[in-house]
Amino acid sequence: MPSPTETVAFLRQVRLFKDIAEPELATLAQSLRERPLRRGQVLLREGDVGEEMFIVLRGSLVISKPVTGRVEQVLARAGPGDFFGEMSLFDRAPRSATIQADSDAILLALDREAMRRLTEVSPRAAAAFFHALVQVFIERLRASGDLVAEVTRWGLEATGLDLDSR
Amino acid sequence: MTETDGSPPSRRARLELLVRRDADEGFDVREIGSATAFVQSRPQRVVPESWELAEMPSRMAGQPSYILKNTVTDRFLLLAEPEKFLWEQMDGQTSLQEIATAYVLRYGAFDFDIIPVLMRKLQRAQLLTLTPTSRLRQALARNRRRRVVKAIETGFTALERINISSRNVQRAFTAAYRWGGFLLFTPAGVIACLLVAVAGMVAGVKLWREGGDIVAGFGGHALQGLITVKILFFLTVAAHQIVHGLALIHYRRRVREFGFTFLHGFVPTFYVDVTDIFMTSRRARVVTAISGAGVHLVLGSAWFLVALWAPLGSFTQAFAAASGIIQWQAFVIALYPFCFIEMDGYHVLVDVLGTPTLKQEAISWAGGLVRRGASRRMGRQEALFAFYVVVSTISVAAFVAFNVMLIVHARS
Repeated sequence: MPSPTETVAFLRQVRLFKDIAEPELATLAQSLRERPLRRGQVLLREGDVGEEMFIVLRGSLVISKPVTGRVEQVLARAGPGDFFGEMSLFDRAPRSATIQADSDAILLALDREAMRRLTEVSPRAAAAFFHALVQVFIERLRASGDLVAEVTRWGLEATGLDLDSR
Repeated sequence: MTETDGSPPSRRARLELLVRRDADEGFDVREIGSATAFVQSRPQRVVPESWELAEMPSRMAGQPSYILKNTVTDRFLLLAEPEKFLWEQMDGQTSLQEIATAYVLRYGAFDFDIIPVLMRKLQRAQLLTLTPTSRLRQALARNRRRRVVKAIETGFTALERINISSRNVQRAFTAAYRWGGFLLFTPAGVIACLLVAVAGMVAGVKLWREGGDIVAGFGGHALQGLITVKILFFLTVAAHQIVHGLALIHYRRRVREFGFTFLHGFVPTFYVDVTDIFMTSRRARVVTAISGAGVHLVLGSAWFLVALWAPLGSFTQAFAAASGIIQWQAFVIALYPFCFIEMDGYHVLVDVLGTPTLKQEAISWAGGLVRRGASRRMGRQEALFAFYVVVSTISVAAFVAFNVMLIVHARS
């Protein structure tokens, strides 16, 4: 388990927290909960209810969406410094994807209550956090568009479907 | 993954899929290229009520043309004879890879554009639907809630994953051919094999007359003995496939793959990719098909000779005689085309008849007969289908009866 100093040093490298000042980051680090995962273990499934986001401290995870039977489409992979599940900090909707460990992993969980405290105690730190989050959202939105295009292209190529001449 | 300059991407698209294992919490991530999915897809024409096919009389000498009509949309397509052949293969059961093989068998060459071009034409005329997986697996997936079905599906999936193969075998087969394999394809080698076969046949006849004493050699463990014989036989299937590969080298073709897998998820088998032989003469195809089966003839004969020389009523004699019978059975099954199994003899038959999908068409025709009755006109093709289905059914029944008789005989 990392010491508080190591956790703060790690958070400093995470894009979401890079603009948050040291004291606020140290306070935030105290509210993070460590969550170990074995290789292959499912952290959460699409449809689960949750109120926390996760930051990958160690290991790698696969983010997927069920397609049919036991087959799921891989949406993304997450490694050290990456984060996911942030949507549940803002809405109470069920999880939108399934996340499992590709190797033994350690995650840091940040829940809605900790986020609310940060917003109350240090609006400046919260603003930095949300600004970084919006930037990440934009990138992910663009990546989603690219993924949709790639999947569509795959479908057209795999089925030999011809739309050019219709 | 991002293509931002607006130009078409140069590479084929790939999908990353996560497949959960049933046995534990684990999963596998597989990358599937669209090209792989394309050749394994099983194009399916629309239901028979939605289309009509008619031959178009041609004033010009040459191949006939066909009019394919979508009766729902009233759209017409003009098909050449090879396109009509491909259309007939698109039954939702046959993959594009198999259709391409059938095409090569029928026409002796392959036009790489003909299938995609035809599929585009059919799609535009709304004559094609696409189903990606086998009906058996779809049915299993639908009924997965039932414990037995789930267990079967899990078993199939696990077995299907077992595939030990290599695509870098050309050099090994070439070396095996150079270091003695070529002898099998010389007149002397063929005569030697035939002499062993004749000697084995004589030995087999003598042994048959002493059947009771021979099986007595198993003592009270006839069933266990026969199972051991079967396992030993299974290993010789590898030799069968290796000889197919040597035949390819003999005809200067390429052995693309050799390996072991579970066919359809439950039939353990060795296999060799002999598709390159389709690019050569019919004689080469026939020799390749027969040479593999010849392994069982020679081994069976050798076992019979061992059984004849072994002490009467000994375990050795019983084991050798049973092995001889099973090898000869394998020889007959491999070359006998009428048994609903696409083995070597079947491939020779369809090659000679020029009907690469005889089994599928015959079964489909028989199914239609059962559903709609026998009112349809019997032409030459229908007669062939009827002959195939009837003789195959009788043959399978006879084969099962023969084996039951052997086991009963051994146990008694």
